[in-house]
Amino acid sequence: MTCDAVIKELALYYYGELAPEVEEGVEDHLQACSSCQAELDRQRSLAVMLDPHELAPPPDLLAECRHELVRAIYREEAPDVRRAASDPWGLFREAFRSIWHPGIRFAQPAGAVALLAMGFFAARLIPEGRIFGPSIPADAMSIRSVQPDSTGRVQISLDETRRRVISGRIDDQNIRRLLLAAAREQDNPGVRVESVQLLKDQSSSAETRGVLLEAVLHDPNPGVRLKALEGLKAFSADAEVRRTLAQVLLKDQNAGVRIQVIDLLIAHQDPTTIGVLQTLIGKEDNNYIRMRCQNALRAMNASLGTF
Amino acid sequence: MLQDAAGAVSARAVSKLDEAAAIRAVQRGDQDAFERLVRAYDQSVLRLAMNLLRSAEDARDVYQEAFLRVYRNIHTFRFDCSFHTWLYRIVTNICLDHLRKRRVRREEAAVVDTVDGPVDRMDSFEQEGPGADPERRLWNNQLGIRIESALCDLTPRERMVFELRHYQGMRLRAIGDVLGTSEEAAKNCLFRATQKMRAVLGDLI
Repeated sequence: MTCDAVIKELALYYYGELAPEVEEGVEDHLQACSSCQAELDRQRSLAVMLDPHELAPPPDLLAECRHELVRAIYREEAPDVRRAASDPWGLFREAFRSIWHPGIRFAQPAGAVALLAMGFFAARLIPEGRIFGPSIPADAMSIRSVQPDSTGRVQISLDETRRRVISGRIDDQNIRRLLLAAAREQDNPGVRVESVQLLKDQSSSAETRGVLLEAVLHDPNPGVRLKALEGLKAFSADAEVRRTLAQVLLKDQNAGVRIQVIDLLIAHQDPTTIGVLQTLIGKEDNNYIRMRCQNALRAMNASLGTF
Repeated sequence: MLQDAAGAVSARAVSKLDEAAAIRAVQRGDQDAFERLVRAYDQSVLRLAMNLLRSAEDARDVYQEAFLRVYRNIHTFRFDCSFHTWLYRIVTNICLDHLRKRRVRREEAAVVDTVDGPVDRMDSFEQEGPGADPERRLWNNQLGIRIESALCDLTPRERMVFELRHYQGMRLRAIGDVLGTSEEAAKNCLFRATQKMRAVLGDLI
């Protein structure tokens, strides 16, 4: 190969993009030609000079993008998130599709108490500096993202006057309290879903169970309600849980949620369930759910209706 | 060693299977699977957009638009290419549009608005902390400006190929697939890009 031919190939040679036979020709030439070798060195120097100038996205940008994507998808999906599906799997899909539904509006006093609690505990987590000091109004803070990792830790990103990231083990009491508050985060269904997902594995605590029950009853997002129901599975024999489930069954607008509640209620023999199922049959307009109720009542040797 | 390699190949195969299963789940409407898919790729998408556009705000726009397009169109994905290729086609198209618009505007503002207020683009290139040697900081700033200028001199397509090959480490064949062109055309782009960079930065190397 001539010097001109080799110099034309040097960039591709450097990036390992030459065909093997051409690469071999370039290498043979380079061994014998110091001027082409110097050109290759210049190519390497260029690459070395450019390498440090790769930009890394700002630390919070990824979490913000994910958060905004959730909102954008919700805006797209909102008109469709209604009881339109006719098959049982479609009903579940409907529920999952609307997992990002924002707009939860819990009572303000409860929210304020939760936020104050978050401030108190977060301050204990980060001893130096008055991060959540009394001069900062509690309502200036909101939780933006909750991210568990494979090591059992969870990272919670929250906004006050500026965002701060707190991380700790999921079983850490303070982290758990932040998660309990995050499960009530008003405007971010993604945060609520993630928090409830983490909390549901620790539903043995009465406080956690209370939050799950509250989510099942009041969260406007069916995805959050479904996650909370998963967490209550282990307590489906508990009287308070069953009372809440009965209420949910008769009032929840999401068929996927109603189906899951039926599964939880019929998992235990309980005469009060019969009345609830009979009432539901009388008002239910979904064929599949009516069929589930009828099957459950037959299995309990109960009549299908109230007379 | 061989076992490690076999394990790695096997892990990749499993991961491909997982990905295919996740895509099919998303096509059936499974939102959790969509989230898994996004999280598998979104860091590299954001990094690519950030480097190509040198602006956090533009990178954020690209991220949103790209994944919304994925969300809207994943039902049309037929597995006739890898998901990575399909996604990167979307991302690179959006980035190319941004780059072309910038060229039409001719002038790119040196200061951009960000969530943290106005930021000078060139600040991104700063490599040293505030306590660093002032001369060295000055040199790095000047070097950053020269590199930015050299990158701006590339056509959007050259810029894209250079970014994907040099910074993202993609092979030219894969780059050709993503950009809907041949490997040969991608090679020519890379060649022209490096020639231009050397012409602008030649006195520094």
